[in-house]
Amino acid sequence: MKRLIQLFLYLVLPAMLCYSCIREELPDNTPTNNFEQLWRIIDTQYCFHDYKTAQGCLPWNDVYNKYRPRINDGMTQDQLFEVLCDMLSELRDGHVNLYSASDVGRYWSWYEDYPKNFSADVQDFYLGTDYRIAAGIKYKILDDNIGYMYYESFSSAIGDGNLSEILDYFRLCNGLIVDVRNNSGGTLTYAERVAQRFTNEKRLVGYIAHKTGAGHNDFSSPEAEYIEPSDGIRWQKKAVVLTNRACYSATNTFVRDMRECPLVTIMGDRTGGGSGLPFSSELPNGWAVRFSACPMYDAAMNQIEFGIEPDTCVSMKKEDLARNKDTLIETAREFLKQ
Amino acid sequence: MHSHPTFPLKAAVFITAFLLTGLSAGSHAQTADTALPENRHTTHSTLFGIGRSSLYETYLSPVTYKGPHISALRESLRKTHWLEGRITTQSILDGFFSYASNQTQTGDEMAGKINYTVGWHYNWLLAGGQLRLMAGGELHGGLGLIYNNRNSNNPVQAKAEIDLGASLIAIYPFHIRKVPFTVRYQASFPLAGGIFSPNYGQSYYEMSLGNYDHNVCFVHPANAPSMRHFLTLDFPISSFTFRIGYLCDIRQSRVNNLRSHIWNHSFMIGYVKHFSFIKRKEPQHRSFVL
Repeated sequence: MKRLIQLFLYLVLPAMLCYSCIREELPDNTPTNNFEQLWRIIDTQYCFHDYKTAQGCLPWNDVYNKYRPRINDGMTQDQLFEVLCDMLSELRDGHVNLYSASDVGRYWSWYEDYPKNFSADVQDFYLGTDYRIAAGIKYKILDDNIGYMYYESFSSAIGDGNLSEILDYFRLCNGLIVDVRNNSGGTLTYAERVAQRFTNEKRLVGYIAHKTGAGHNDFSSPEAEYIEPSDGIRWQKKAVVLTNRACYSATNTFVRDMRECPLVTIMGDRTGGGSGLPFSSELPNGWAVRFSACPMYDAAMNQIEFGIEPDTCVSMKKEDLARNKDTLIETAREFLKQ
Repeated sequence: MHSHPTFPLKAAVFITAFLLTGLSAGSHAQTADTALPENRHTTHSTLFGIGRSSLYETYLSPVTYKGPHISALRESLRKTHWLEGRITTQSILDGFFSYASNQTQTGDEMAGKINYTVGWHYNWLLAGGQLRLMAGGELHGGLGLIYNNRNSNNPVQAKAEIDLGASLIAIYPFHIRKVPFTVRYQASFPLAGGIFSPNYGQSYYEMSLGNYDHNVCFVHPANAPSMRHFLTLDFPISSFTFRIGYLCDIRQSRVNNLRSHIWNHSFMIGYVKHFSFIKRKEPQHRSFVL
């Protein structure tokens, strides 16, 4: 008995006294501390620092020196929000947002500064009123026996059953247009589910990595990403994917995947990019911040953060718009009929 | 900022130290270890609790979320034949569900976890048979989840852990105006085990692709200083035995550059049932002392 108690007293208790609480290390809620915390979150968790610097963005340490003088503890929340949003916009990343109780800070220049290459009004002339809708996909057979499907958002769930029904409906078509213009992303699983219908074999489509520590270069070894052919109906004829600058995030990944499929042609404008899987965090004042955390690459290990070039560049012509014609759809139809 | 032992943790450690010191003194005064009962008693208790949770999970947020929780605990304590009946087995199945918010009330987290613990304790009777001390080891496993309602690709942190630890139980029965009461205190300390954790910036999407990156981590008191303190009082009402108690469950880890804690403080209330493998006539509440 004495030995046991001695064991507790001399071994276990000293070990217990070394116990420390693992607890929050956030500073107080002041404008200065919120600035410092936001800068630190991006500094330690953002995944494109070196790439963005190489692309002409201001190095993150210089960003601190540029914006720190604009912060003081007497400033209002609106003023703080404005400065923090300006700071984040230095990253030129659509996945970076700051959420206050009254506003969302954003960087949307990746599509706002470019031609839209899409008109919903003109698209209506192609879809008419008798188009079909399966999950989030609108689809129709055009007059020249070309199948047309429009997936507006990968946030809309799509099932394998939906896709089999759609492709079965198109089975006699001469070609297929997959229109993902203005699709700003959503769930990667749905993007992959669609891409699986366009390959008959397992294909390497890209790589994914993640941060392993706070350093700008603390990354895991990139792991290969593949798409597996679907067990359901797969498309065996030519297909065109229509893109514009508003194709972002999961849609950017979808285009990356489709580019590896042999009968698929990417047509339209460069995609908007957004290849970093976004994570979220928050500041002492409760504002939430979203940022790119896990970089994804294409099959050749190239960055696709700033978008993917199409196989065939096509821009919307004003004269076509005036005639309610979509230049991209018309070009795709001609291509598929060849 | 460095982390320091804080009041609840320190207090718990000193309570344990005080108890052990007292027991040590008591052992010197002990004249003879009272013979243990020959029949094998089993005590089952079912408790329900409410309390406060503190959730800190840097994979989800650097901010601590706090809020109420509900909990339940089912315990079985049974004497065995081993070492002349001096070994007692204990099994505890418990779980909680918590809904917590950050300090600015702009985000919420929900957490739930189920634990199963089985332990084996050696028994001593001290202070002339008045005080029962048990010490031993236990095996613990837990599964749980923390969900943050406003995160994008890191909305959830899964919890899975298994560990071996040390446990100490002190049971002291007493009477007030011939009414039997039993007070019990138990302290448990995980010493070594393994936990699941994503890597620093690893997404669950990437893990779903089968990419492993140190997702099972070895833990010990230096990187996962966890402990559990359980203080209860049993008392009779009519022919039933009830139990009230305070449960302090502190689970912490610091792995893969991620920091985490779940601190639960619960007030528990429930009932106790006593069973015996050998039927015999004995006072209703005698088995408080097992």
